[in-house]
Amino acid sequence: MIFAELNWGLLDQQLINGIQLGAIYALIALGYTMVYGVLKLINFAHGEVYMVGAYIAYYTAEQWLDKNSMSPWLLLAVMLLGAMAVCAILGVTIERLAYRPLRGAPRISILITAIGVSLLLQQGGLLIFRTSPQPSISEQVNPFGASNFKNLPILGDLTISWGQAAMFGVSIVLMLLLWWFVSGTKTGRGIRAVSHDFSTASLMGIDVNRMVAITFVIGSALAGAGGMMNATALGTPLDTFYGLLPGVKAFVAAVLGGIGNIPGAVAGGFLMGIAEALVIWMGYSNFKDAVAFVILIAVLLVRPSGLLGSVGQEKA
Amino acid sequence: MKQKLLLACISAALVAGLVAGCKPKDGPATGEPVPAWVPFSEVEWFDAGLGGEVVRPVSTGAGNTMEGDTIKIGMIASLSGAEKPWGDESKKGAQLAIDQANEAGGINGKQIELIVEDTGGLPATGKTATERLVSSKKVLAVLGEVASGVTGPSAEVCQSAGVPIISVGSTRTALSNTGNMFFRVCYTDAFQGAMLAKFAYDDLGIKNVAILTDKQLPYSVGLSDDFRAFFTKLGGTVVAEDFYEKGTTDFKGQLTNLKAKNPDGLFCSGYFTEIGPIARQRAAVGLDVPMFGGDGWDSSELLNSGGEGIMGSYYSNHYSNLQDREQVKNFVSTFKAKYGSEPANAMGALGYDAALVLIDALKRAAAMDSASIRDAIATTSGLEAVSGTITIGPDGNAQKAGLILKAEMYDPSKE
Repeated sequence: MIFAELNWGLLDQQLINGIQLGAIYALIALGYTMVYGVLKLINFAHGEVYMVGAYIAYYTAEQWLDKNSMSPWLLLAVMLLGAMAVCAILGVTIERLAYRPLRGAPRISILITAIGVSLLLQQGGLLIFRTSPQPSISEQVNPFGASNFKNLPILGDLTISWGQAAMFGVSIVLMLLLWWFVSGTKTGRGIRAVSHDFSTASLMGIDVNRMVAITFVIGSALAGAGGMMNATALGTPLDTFYGLLPGVKAFVAAVLGGIGNIPGAVAGGFLMGIAEALVIWMGYSNFKDAVAFVILIAVLLVRPSGLLGSVGQEKA
Repeated sequence: MKQKLLLACISAALVAGLVAGCKPKDGPATGEPVPAWVPFSEVEWFDAGLGGEVVRPVSTGAGNTMEGDTIKIGMIASLSGAEKPWGDESKKGAQLAIDQANEAGGINGKQIELIVEDTGGLPATGKTATERLVSSKKVLAVLGEVASGVTGPSAEVCQSAGVPIISVGSTRTALSNTGNMFFRVCYTDAFQGAMLAKFAYDDLGIKNVAILTDKQLPYSVGLSDDFRAFFTKLGGTVVAEDFYEKGTTDFKGQLTNLKAKNPDGLFCSGYFTEIGPIARQRAAVGLDVPMFGGDGWDSSELLNSGGEGIMGSYYSNHYSNLQDREQVKNFVSTFKAKYGSEPANAMGALGYDAALVLIDALKRAAAMDSASIRDAIATTSGLEAVSGTITIGPDGNAQKAGLILKAEMYDPSKE
């Protein structure tokens, strides 16, 4: 009875929508998973870093620079790099001021601190950022802009909008860069060592504080990039709660993939995005978030440490 | 380590300063047409017969009586939290009306004092704030709130205390049943839904409509229900309905589904935050049909966030800065003189009107106590206010025309 209602012709288009959505979830999920990897901390302030990234992109495009007289490509690049840089500084500042002093404290204290930082950024942001009227990045900033509406045909009737294609491309490039950094560089190896065993890594002469700081720099910069791209391509009006829902979804994606595991976060992000699109396709859009959590529970019942998480990773 | 800490603090402070120090740039030079919400038509008040029978229990509370030299009026508004943009405006509007009344000599020589409490946009905080106003500040009447979810519990407090409350912008129909102490200066969702259905069916000629609802928002769900009920009553068909929840940014999935059903109109009952991205993305999936919605669309930012996709859309509002009425022109100019900017949304005008209805009632009230003021509010008739000519109906709601706005290129120099 359910299947009789389905419009099979829309399935491929909805899958493409889901993959685009998943790329952004994956980008944010990486920050959660990397921080958890090194500190065993759920960084609840991560969604707020994403929010700051979106705001920096807005201020860059609409106020600090003159969008009418500069090359749109240069403007976009400055917005992306600016958002990533400011978020990196913010992330490392949060780590230095809020988390590092509590390094030896019980994990629950640092968890509560993370929630505190999240609230501080949400409410404190109301004092700093413009929220009334809620600002949004104008369509003209996007060089895919007016042609935002023109679609890139993939195959037959299948289309993807230029803006979404660009978002997807940048996300993939950033993920590949991260993969190269973590697996191919000495610092990356250091991060993996800290993630494997914090105290032993420090005994082996690895500067753990530096590794943790670098982790925050990378994770926050990725969140900043996600915030900038979503705000620019979709034109969502910003407020300081902008990161709340994406933060929760990306957190679920990270847990789904196996928190602490980098490919897992990417897999979890794509799985969430595609699942959401399929639920919408089946005509149950009012249950789309519930389904995300049902999948989470189902996966965790079968694989308690997530899709790609290794069993026994969690040390008592 | 100390230096690093200092460095971190300085960089954080620099970023904050950089952001805070920035002033929004001025708009384009005058004489150049800009996108704007232009008044399109008015839908006269009618009884839609939706929302069920209204039962208004009579309060047994004693109410408050004037003490001291000033007439104390309370106001609840979201001055913090996500609904701050609306709370701030409603407070500015009410304060303006009361300042004007005071400058004109007050009520029988007595000055009106407005005591504002912050609700943070939260029902529980709003309830406590109202209790504080009613029991410790001894206010004679309360103004506010904007959000129905906060107004509900606050109105219960007023109902049991016997203090009248005039809501600024809460459109939830069922609030009328709170009791005889509850009034509002805005229309109800039942009227708004019916009026939009009538407008779409009669004026836009839409017969097959698609509905997009924010299922997390009782406002949106209620408005969609009332719209659907009246639209089908008129003979129209709802060909497709899809859902999302507040905070969603990607709507292409839902829009792809709706387009497949070939509607000739798209009704979106949610808040403006999601309407902008929907408008941008509907073009991306090729859903080029008239888009329209309710007063949740009210924000000057929607024209920017909606981009080209919002042009030619319609929504129903309580008020527009561009309306060609004397009351509106006076309101906009005095508001601008006092606060330095034009009203950012309709809550400024509705806050002003809520205070205006109350001031009008204070002038007519037999005595300075809550019960007399309530009776005077209930008999408000033909009051020329900013958002229209207000008559308070037997259900406590303002009976006035609904305004339809359209997104068009507007030339400010043609004023």
